[in-house]
Amino acid sequence: MREWTGVFRRGLSLENPLTMLMIGLCPTLAVSTKVEGAFFMGVAVIFVLTMSVVLVSSLRLYVPEQVRIPVFIVIVASFVTIVDLSMKAFLPDVYIFLGVWIPLIVTNCIILGRAEAFAYHNKVSLSAADGLGMGAGFSIVIVTLGLIRELFGSGEIVFLGARLLSFPEWYRAPNVLLLFPGAFIVFGFMVAAAKWYNLRTGTRMVQTSAHCTIEEGGR
Amino acid sequence: MARVPSTPARMVGTVFVTCLVAASALAATYMLTRDRIAEQEAAAERLALQSVLSGADAFTLAEELLPAAAEAAGDVPVTAVYRATTATGEGAGWGVRLSPRGYAGPVQVVVGLDRDGLVSGVSIITHNETPGLGTKILTEPGWMDQFTGWDGADIAASARGFDNIAGATKSAVAIRNGVTAAGAVYAEVLAGQTEGVQAP
Repeated sequence: MREWTGVFRRGLSLENPLTMLMIGLCPTLAVSTKVEGAFFMGVAVIFVLTMSVVLVSSLRLYVPEQVRIPVFIVIVASFVTIVDLSMKAFLPDVYIFLGVWIPLIVTNCIILGRAEAFAYHNKVSLSAADGLGMGAGFSIVIVTLGLIRELFGSGEIVFLGARLLSFPEWYRAPNVLLLFPGAFIVFGFMVAAAKWYNLRTGTRMVQTSAHCTIEEGGR
Repeated sequence: MARVPSTPARMVGTVFVTCLVAASALAATYMLTRDRIAEQEAAAERLALQSVLSGADAFTLAEELLPAAAEAAGDVPVTAVYRATTATGEGAGWGVRLSPRGYAGPVQVVVGLDRDGLVSGVSIITHNETPGLGTKILTEPGWMDQFTGWDGADIAASARGFDNIAGATKSAVAIRNGVTAAGAVYAEVLAGQTEGVQAP
């Protein structure tokens, strides 16, 4: 159990895919203009990532090494298509906003990266912890980025049609936050904050830990 | 436990079985969501039609007119023609859905034309234009309204007064091409129709 929580927590802080490993940035910067989009992107990634790594992990002993990548891609693509169709059916507005970024989860490095680096070498329960932790880490960062950008960039936060927060009339929202430069600037501060936090808590990122740390089974 | 040895037969078998299972899972999801998705798309389309033809209450697909309309529109693909009717079954105009080519792929628009062939509104359903630049066609205040009142019977004359947007040149021209093509469709096909009579 301690091992499980350890793996889960690594995804949140020490090996956070966005602020520490710096992978999967493309959709993050693109869809974080709205909290709503960022939130459902996070949910989609948690679902696809956890399901994919659990499946990859449970099949890991039966998938020959030479064909592992095609098998991973098929698994990931299937879950992404399931998300794609369900979102189109039940959340059409969010689907239109996220647009091409939902299908592009297939090529998101976080998912294939975790399947290859972790799930293919570790048992199912730990892989699930890794998937959930990485997914949660991704979601926390993307939603925070979305909160900052939407609140300061457009002056209000609208979630599924309901206005949660808004600035008074006199606030003139700087457009730059909603454009890409704004995304990079805000994200830069978030990376700095994450690194500072990790330094403060006395934990340092181990460069090699992006690869498998808990080796189990063949090779 | 050791991983299975890699023999050619195993490799082929693994990939084959994976694809088979994945395909069935996707087929099942597709079956479950198909009706819901069709419903949502129909609702979105109705909303777009309603916004360009506010006076109409019902829209029926005029499939028999589509081949002639596609011919009249020239280079711009026409994907649907709707006959708009009021609650009493009277003809209220036409909705033409086209997909002119924008800067980054087709821009799906619905152009509404009233009974006299005047453009009553233009609505964008989907697009892939560059955020912040091409999307000015959606965000520029009042820009879309310039098309209202363009005369379908003589669309070339109306199009001379077209006002472009700096930074969104290609996207704006795409909309103009869509409206112009819709005008051509009206002049060559729709104007001669005794609209409303055939409506159910």
